[in-house]
Amino acid sequence: MRTVIVGAGQAGRRTAELLRGLDAGHDILLLGEEAEPPYDRPPLSKEILLGEEHPRGLMQRDAEAYDAQRIALRLGERVAGIDLGAARVETNAGERIAYDSLVVATGARARNLPIPGADDRRVLTLRSMADARALRARLRPGLRLAVAGAGLIGLEVAAAAIQLGCAVTVLEMGERAMARCVPEAISTRIEAWHRAAGVVLEFGCPLTAIRPESDALHLVTSRGVIAADLLLVAIGAIPNSELAREAGIAVEDGILADASGRTSHPQVFAAGEVARIWQEAAGRHIRFETWQVAQHQPVAVANALCGAQRPYAELPWHWTDQYGRNVQILGAHGAGLDWLEREDGERLASLGVDAEGRVQGAVLIDNGREATPLRRIIAAGRPIERDRLLDPSVALRQLC
Amino acid sequence: MAWHDVAPEGDFLEEIPKVVQVGEDRVAVFRLDDGFYAISDVCTHEYALLSEGFCEDGKVECPLHQACFDIRTGKVLNEPAEIDVETYPTRVEGGVVQFQL
Ligand SMILES: Cc1cc2nc3c(=O)[nH]c(=O)nc-3n(C[C@H](O)[C@H](O)[C@H](O)COP(=O)(O)OP(=O)(O)OC[C@H]3O[C@@H](n4cnc5c(N)ncnc54)[C@H](O)[C@@H]3O)c2cc1C
Ligand code: FES
Repeated sequence: MRTVIVGAGQAGRRTAELLRGLDAGHDILLLGEEAEPPYDRPPLSKEILLGEEHPRGLMQRDAEAYDAQRIALRLGERVAGIDLGAARVETNAGERIAYDSLVVATGARARNLPIPGADDRRVLTLRSMADARALRARLRPGLRLAVAGAGLIGLEVAAAAIQLGCAVTVLEMGERAMARCVPEAISTRIEAWHRAAGVVLEFGCPLTAIRPESDALHLVTSRGVIAADLLLVAIGAIPNSELAREAGIAVEDGILADASGRTSHPQVFAAGEVARIWQEAAGRHIRFETWQVAQHQPVAVANALCGAQRPYAELPWHWTDQYGRNVQILGAHGAGLDWLEREDGERLASLGVDAEGRVQGAVLIDNGREATPLRRIIAAGRPIERDRLLDPSVALRQLC
Repeated sequence: MAWHDVAPEGDFLEEIPKVVQVGEDRVAVFRLDDGFYAISDVCTHEYALLSEGFCEDGKVECPLHQACFDIRTGKVLNEPAEIDVETYPTRVEGGVVQFQL
C-alpha cells in the first residue's frame, strides 16, 4: 500500500507518523512545497517574533527522524496536479507519482488585501516560517507598524511588535477585537491589554487603499491617512483546495470530507485545515482553522487508511497568547448566549449559556486547568443552575 | 542530593499538588491514592506549570496544549510534549512529605 501525502505541514506530519504507528508495512511519501521539514505554526506569531530561534513548540524534527520512521520526506516540491483516473500526482518538475491512497493536507494561505497598493514590498502576511523570519527581521524599535485585522494573528503580532519597541496601530473593519471567536466582554479585556501596552486600536476602520511613497506607506482609511513603515495584513486564511477542485473533488470553501476525512473520491482523503469536515452533532460540514484539527483529525484519516473507523468529533478548541496571557476558546459559539464570568484572581472562566441553561462554549484566561471539565460539561449538554455555575466554592469539575 | 520538606501529610488534597522550588528546579508533589509522587513542574513542550493543570486518575494535563503525563512514572502520554518529566523519590518522615533532589 502506498500513501502519498501532499502538504508537509502539521497535518501532513501527523498523518504520516500516525499511519506509520498503525501499519509498519505501509509505503509513505510526504511531499511538501516549503523548504523546511514540517512544523507547527503557533510559535510563528509568538516566540519566533520575540526572538526565540528554535522553540520546541514548533515540533520540528530533522530529516533523519523521518528516515528513522521510514517516511519518505520530499521538500521544496509542489504538487501541480492530481490525476484521479490514473491515481497519480504530478509535481511541478513534471514527475508523476502513483498512489493507492492520497491525502491532501495542503492547509491554507493568508488572505491578501484586495486593494490598490497591496503588492508593495512593505506589505506582508504571516503564514510560514519564512514569513515569520522576514517579519521579525524588520521589527525594529521605532518602526511604525500597521496591522490590518484584529483577529488572533494580527493581535499576536501587535503584542510582539510593541514589546520589541515598534509603534503599532491595528486597523479593524469590525467593532471589536477577535469578534469572530470571543464574546464582547472578552474583547474588551483583550483590547485593554493592548491599549495599556501602547497599541493604537482603530475599530470600524476599513483600509481602502495603500499609497506607497518612498518615506512611508500611506494607508487610506475611513479615519484619514495613516503613515506606516510596514503593513502586516492579517485578515484571515483561504484553504489551498484548488488542487483538489481542479482534479474534480468536491470543494466548498475547503475540501468536503466525512468524519473520517474521506472526500468525494474513495481513494482521496483530506487532512487538517484544508478540509471542511462533516460534524454529526452540528449537522453540517465545518472547516476549522486550528492547531487542534491539524493535530487530531489525522487520527481519523490514518485509521481510515488502515480500514478502521475513528471519526473526528471533537469540541472545537483553540488559543492565543498575548502579553504572557493565555486565552483558550472552547466550542463554536454563535450569538444568543448569555456569558457568565467566574473569576478567581487572575484566572477567568467565561461561560456561554443558552436559554435552557446549557453551557455551549467557554473562554478561559490563564485558566487551562478548567478546559477539560468544561469540555465535559459542554459535551454532556445538561442545563445547570446559574447559581451553581457562578458559585466559586463549587469546582467546575464537580459539575461535569 | 538531599531530602526536601514539602508539607505535612494531612495538608495534601487529592488532585491539587504542592510546589517547592529548589534552586532552578520546580517540583510538584501530588498525593495519589497509593502515595506521594514528585515530578518536575515544568512541561517539556513549551513552558507551562503542570501544577496549574488538570489532574485525574494519576495523570496531569498541561494547562496550555494538553499534553498529559503519568504522575507516577513521569512518562509523557501524548503530543505535543514528547519528553518525559523528571521524577523524584518521595518519603514521609515524621508526618512530613519529602522528596529527594
Ligand atoms: C501565524 C500562525 C499562528 C497560529 N497560531 C495558532 C494558535 O495559537 N492556536 C491554534 O489553535 N492555531 C493557530 N494557528 C493555526 C494552525 O497553525 C493551523 O490551523 C495549522 O497549521 C493547520 O495545519 P495544516 O497542516 O492543515 O496546514 P499547514 O500547516 O499550513 O500545512 C500545509 C502545507 O502544505 C503545503 N502545500 C500547500 N499546497 C501544496 C502543494 N500543492 N504541493 C505541496 N505542498 C503544498 C504548504 O506549503 C504547507 O507547508 C496559527 C496559524 C498561523 C499561520
Ligand atoms: S506547554 Fe505543555 S503542552 Fe504545550
